[in-house]
Amino acid sequence: MNEPPKPAKKTQKAPLGIKRRHVLVGAGAAAGGLAVTRVLGLHHLGPELPTIALPGQATPTPKTKDWIAPLDKPEAQVAHLLRRATFGATTAEYDAAVSDGFKTTVDRLIETPAAEPPVMQAAEDASQEKPLPPVQLQAWWLDWMLRSPTPFAERMAFFWHGHFTSDFRKVNPQTPFIYWQNLTWRRMALSNLSDMLYKVTIDPGMLRYLDLGTSTGRSPNENYSRELMELFTMGVGTFTEDDVRAGAKALAGWREPVTQAMYDAAVKRAMEQGRPVPRNLQPDPGKTGVFEQQRAYVGPVTFLGDTRQWGTTSVLEKILKQDSVAPFIVTKVAREFVNQDPDLAYVKRLAETFRKTKYDVKTLMRDVFTSPEFLSPPSYRALVKSPTELMIHTTKALGLGQQPQLTRGLAVAGNGMGQALFDPPEVGGWPSNASWISSNNVLERVNFAQATLTALPTIPAFGKAYVTHLDGVVSPATAQLLNSSPDDATRWLILLASPEFQLK
Amino acid sequence: MKELGGVNGLTRRDFLRSGLVFGVGAQALSAGYAAVPDVFARAVLAAKEAKVQNDRILVMIQLGGGNDGLQTVIPIGDGAYRDLRPQLSAAAAKAQPISKDIALHENLRGIKKLYDAGKVAIVQGVGYPKPSFSHFDSIRVWETGDPERRQQNGWLGKAIEKNYDSAGHPLVGCACGTTNVPGALRDLQATLTVIDDQKTFSFQGGQNVENVMGTLYTGTPGIYGALFDSAMATVRDTVAQLRTSAAKYTPKGGYSDKVNLVYSSKNQLAAALQLAAELIVTGTGVKIIHVTLGGFDTHYTELNRHDALMSYLDSAVSAFHDDLTAYGMADRVLVATWSEFGRRPKENASGGTDHGTASPVIVIGDPVKGGLYGETPALAKLDQLGNLSFGVDFRAVYQEILSSHLGVDGKEILGQSFDRVPFVKAPAG
Repeated sequence: MNEPPKPAKKTQKAPLGIKRRHVLVGAGAAAGGLAVTRVLGLHHLGPELPTIALPGQATPTPKTKDWIAPLDKPEAQVAHLLRRATFGATTAEYDAAVSDGFKTTVDRLIETPAAEPPVMQAAEDASQEKPLPPVQLQAWWLDWMLRSPTPFAERMAFFWHGHFTSDFRKVNPQTPFIYWQNLTWRRMALSNLSDMLYKVTIDPGMLRYLDLGTSTGRSPNENYSRELMELFTMGVGTFTEDDVRAGAKALAGWREPVTQAMYDAAVKRAMEQGRPVPRNLQPDPGKTGVFEQQRAYVGPVTFLGDTRQWGTTSVLEKILKQDSVAPFIVTKVAREFVNQDPDLAYVKRLAETFRKTKYDVKTLMRDVFTSPEFLSPPSYRALVKSPTELMIHTTKALGLGQQPQLTRGLAVAGNGMGQALFDPPEVGGWPSNASWISSNNVLERVNFAQATLTALPTIPAFGKAYVTHLDGVVSPATAQLLNSSPDDATRWLILLASPEFQLK
Repeated sequence: MKELGGVNGLTRRDFLRSGLVFGVGAQALSAGYAAVPDVFARAVLAAKEAKVQNDRILVMIQLGGGNDGLQTVIPIGDGAYRDLRPQLSAAAAKAQPISKDIALHENLRGIKKLYDAGKVAIVQGVGYPKPSFSHFDSIRVWETGDPERRQQNGWLGKAIEKNYDSAGHPLVGCACGTTNVPGALRDLQATLTVIDDQKTFSFQGGQNVENVMGTLYTGTPGIYGALFDSAMATVRDTVAQLRTSAAKYTPKGGYSDKVNLVYSSKNQLAAALQLAAELIVTGTGVKIIHVTLGGFDTHYTELNRHDALMSYLDSAVSAFHDDLTAYGMADRVLVATWSEFGRRPKENASGGTDHGTASPVIVIGDPVKGGLYGETPALAKLDQLGNLSFGVDFRAVYQEILSSHLGVDGKEILGQSFDRVPFVKAPAG
């Protein structure tokens, strides 16, 4: 009754002969009673059927196994890369990348520094008087994900947003801090972990989110010290409770900056209430935390085995000397860009270079994308798109450009699928892969496709969308529905709502 | 191995064998997330004999982030409380005494009323040995019911798998007011549903789109294929069930979602519990419900934030109890809170508290034998790290819920037996 699961059998290889140039189906197709020739009819999608025909008895057997990976083909390699290194591609972006080839595309993506999004003045000026509506901020970012000429850098900003996470509830929309954090994360997205950790530690949004901004040497707050090690760098079980306490003391002394708008609002409020303006309150010129020596801890503490007087820089340097850091970050990167269960040797290999290059992010990501593992069949469709990736890919696939209404709609839809930007469910950031799949989320994803198509004034031509966006690799059920669809609107619905399109 | 043949000729061995051909699927199994091929799961589960004959229902409320037990059930009689918490102890003066030494937070007014009526059990000092101070690690311990961290499935998911026919009846286990499957309900072989908002839980485009999606999510290949397919089957079963239930229910409790009260809770507890009441009242066959109220990670300015959270919890739970009482169903439903840990007895410089250990579990409902259980935490005897020692193993609380309330075999789910914490009035037969 309670036998442990047995080890996985080797993934079955596709039977020879079933491979076709454009349309590849799961190995179970024949067993399911669905003629392969019929599936190949995908080339000849015709308008003859008035309604969608249901396959009924042709339900394929659940013994269908794996997708037949097309990753030996250059155009499929490029599409695979674009689905993971960016938020999916428009037809034009796909064509350009296919023409450049895989190697050139990797170089271009990695070597192009992040383009700056448009300044959002309402966020810059946020104060108690004029809080920033979160949906406006979410729409601003979604718009830039959609339009940025540097989609890889944007994708990495999104990755770090989940890793070094903060939420607008605690950071508070009455400050520009969560907006600043987004700008900072983007600018540092392709730098190195050492520079990043310092920026993260003194980021005003982070100072508030994990409470370092109110921690003092006399009475330290442990929140940042713990999560810095557990979630940002080393992983659970690699440090002691004494390290958490020592780290909290060693890092104490920072406070949030006061912006001009926050200062003005405070002055106005004090005057209205007939109170004097607090004497110490002054606007700060910078956009980072402010260190106050009198609030810091003076004296030696023992942190990760060394006893000395510590400062923020030496704490971060000490953490980066731990063997656990590189494998921890690499594993997280692999789960987001390669497959859910990266094997240990792979992680070790990437981690060695990552550490040797002083934690250089560009080197790591180049190593990831050019590794044989990235293009190996078990990595094909081995990751589930997050709601944000799904929404941006959908919008790009349909060729929808910049529209304020659209991005506000995306912000709301993301919430329904479990991903309201700047509002992760927990301090550990976003869920990943299988944990995105629930009855609620699958329904919301299908409804998103339907609602997006319904809102379109004209339906773009379907053409070869099944190749551009699905590599021509579909399940028998998807093939049959596409074959029997009466029009392009229906074909788009099938494609965008399909399990294939939920994967990357 | 026990065979469960007879349905479509499938046996458990067939099922296991078929489950394993999903290639890397076995790794996904060990990650505890994957589902099994729906048709097999259904067959196997349908073949189970219904062991449980009662109509008891369980609602678990997760207080996410680590609820401060010392601000919830306040040790007013302990002088050390004020010494350790110069700011936070302001809550003591306004608290509602339930004994010489203990008082409930002032905003738990509805729960105090139910306590006075003998319908609330407070189990003090609940925790586990060698506690983890990591949110995620400790949440996993509570979700799986396993301090050794060997189990992958959630304790509620396992209870469903072992005892109920959830195949085709996904509402046996339901997470309300959230988008993702909570770990406590996760189970390889159980079917369960997640409903964020029942008003939008239907297919845009109607029956035709629903039928098409049913076909589209059939026989999906790959490691996530079975998970996608069974999620879609669950959607369709859930939609059908909600369609019939919506017409039969109007709330009879005063639910109000004061979302602005709580700085960092996105979980609208009142809405989630109202949905839970609807599922119960309309006879959907719901047995186990999980809801979450977040925002308890009060590292700073805790006094105001925790006040708001207590008020939020109290109003939602009170409305839920009133609603069920008005519908004559309160005698079937037990509500219990859980949280990954309590908080450090000594407050920090931010006017908050850091991660701690043991904290109380509050059990509410007509089936409850009210009163105080377990020892009041001894603030004078903190451990080396300045934390409370636990007195009651959290699995003993689970056991009472499973065995005495739901009437299922707690030992089968928890792997061992514990001394009873007898807060259930009349154990189910």
